[in-house]
Amino acid sequence: MKSKYLFIIFVVIAVLQLFAPANMIYNQEHILKTGTLYKFKTQPIDPNDPFRGKYVTLSYELNSAKSRDSTLQKDDKILVYLEKDSSGYAQVKAVSKTKIENEKDFIEVKVDWYNPYTNDVGFSLPFNRYYMQEFKAKPAENIYRKYNSVLDTINQTYALVSVKNGDAVLKEVYINDRPLLNYLELKTSE
Amino acid sequence: MKFKFNRELTELVDNKVISEDTAIRITEYYRYKEKGQSNPLFMIFGIFGSALVGLGVILILAHNWDHLSRPIKTIFAFLPLLIGQVLSGIAILKNKSRAWKESAGTFLFFSIGASIALVSQIYHIPGDLSSYLLLWISLGLPLIYLLDSKAVDMLVIILATYYAVELGYSFNGGSRVPWLYFLIMLGTLPFYISALLKSAQANSTGILNWLYAVSLMISLGTCINSNWALAFLMYALLFGMYYNLGYLNVYRNGLLRRNSFKLLGSLGTVVLLVVFSFNGIWEDVESKVFVVNSQELIISVLLFVSALVLLGFSYKKRTEVMLDVFQFVFLVFVILFAIGTINAGLATVLTNSILLLLGLFAVKSGTERLSFGILNYGLLIISVTIICRFFDTDMSFVLRGILFVLVGLGFFLTNYFMFKKQKSIQS
Repeated sequence: MKSKYLFIIFVVIAVLQLFAPANMIYNQEHILKTGTLYKFKTQPIDPNDPFRGKYVTLSYELNSAKSRDSTLQKDDKILVYLEKDSSGYAQVKAVSKTKIENEKDFIEVKVDWYNPYTNDVGFSLPFNRYYMQEFKAKPAENIYRKYNSVLDTINQTYALVSVKNGDAVLKEVYINDRPLLNYLELKTSE
Repeated sequence: MKFKFNRELTELVDNKVISEDTAIRITEYYRYKEKGQSNPLFMIFGIFGSALVGLGVILILAHNWDHLSRPIKTIFAFLPLLIGQVLSGIAILKNKSRAWKESAGTFLFFSIGASIALVSQIYHIPGDLSSYLLLWISLGLPLIYLLDSKAVDMLVIILATYYAVELGYSFNGGSRVPWLYFLIMLGTLPFYISALLKSAQANSTGILNWLYAVSLMISLGTCINSNWALAFLMYALLFGMYYNLGYLNVYRNGLLRRNSFKLLGSLGTVVLLVVFSFNGIWEDVESKVFVVNSQELIISVLLFVSALVLLGFSYKKRTEVMLDVFQFVFLVFVILFAIGTINAGLATVLTNSILLLLGLFAVKSGTERLSFGILNYGLLIISVTIICRFFDTDMSFVLRGILFVLVGLGFFLTNYFMFKKQKSIQS
């Protein structure tokens, strides 16, 4: 009898265990399918996660904006509203602590710093990990570094991100409009 | 083991120590007793096997199979999880042996981690290691109770400590107090207490004793904000609480090597006192501004109260009249700390005296109990205190040399006299 009750509780826990990854998948797929796509210019490095494998950390050129809200402090949550420029790259339309009506795409970020003299607010975009095979992460980083320097104006490196209701999913990383992996294979076969 | 046991029984019967009838009854008794238990070796290999397979799965999945499509990768994310769940489900429903439950629980625990890791990888989900560990632990923790599994409890403690260290000891400036670590540990506590009550003498419970003691010792440091002086007091009180906790019957009646709280409490107290036997530390304490409303002080008060309650409890329940000075050191340390904030010099002298007193006490109780371990522990405390004084006093080399010789002689003579005493008692 006791084991029957235990089993029922176990089934509930097992469903939760299945639900957690399934829900993660659902959320990501939902944003990928229905979100708006933005391009973000990037700069990468390659660290290691003991459980999830190698990844390339992406830092973005878009890391600050103007805000007249002088109450902003480090670690405050703010909403960064986005719009596209003529080439499809994301740029900040507005920054706000609360939701702005009639504005659609925004990302929730944490404030890194606020400068009250210049009215600049600094933040880091959350989609900063691109997981890769352990042997490909380092060459990818090398190629990326080469093309991503400020002096290099010919090669474009960017991340394609799907944005919806404050959440964002990193879809792919591109070098000159080719997916990073694809570009890497092309370069190594050359 | 069994072979040896049977041989001993035959020898006893042959030498007419016990009758043949008694020998048969003894064999029957152990055969009956063994029936209800699964083979411990079988269980240990089961747990290790599952842990290795589970870790292997995590590593294989971490490779990032980029030529596989997203749906196929997703199937692989769920496969180990489902296998683990089916195995654990069968173990619960059919009330399988402990070996089965422990192994299935261990495997399921690892596959939860593998599954979330792979999904995070497929979708490049951001989030630092600590948030990933927290999700993993929360999904795995109920398995401790459902499968009555000590192995899963051990894994939860290890991962929770990892989480606390990851979040609390971040050196790039963003460290936060991992309050949820304490909540997780509280969540596992009912299981640990029931394990102590049911099988305090089991080896697995001994491992749990050590894991809990070491984990809390590591994680307490994450509560240090900026008040370094108070952090020392916090640790002194933790060790005081540990030592008095080690006096509870569940720990005390077992082997000393399983009594992690008493051992760590005693050793931690001595190490801390040795650190404080240097004048420089006390001068630092004296110059620090004493912040009353800090989290370090609140935690110190909590630890002080629990140590005091445990001390009172052990004195109410004590069976022998013997006094253990180590039990009171935390009280003395609080007074010492109060003195140290006003007068560093006096506190230094007092700390050294306390250390010598503790050493002498250990030597005395070692000789009384005829324990070479305790005797030499006491001698070690005295020698370390004396050796440390060589660093901050301007003694002549001759005097230092003579002190070294005296300490060395002390070791030889006390051990020799005790050896003689032990021999005379034996004969």
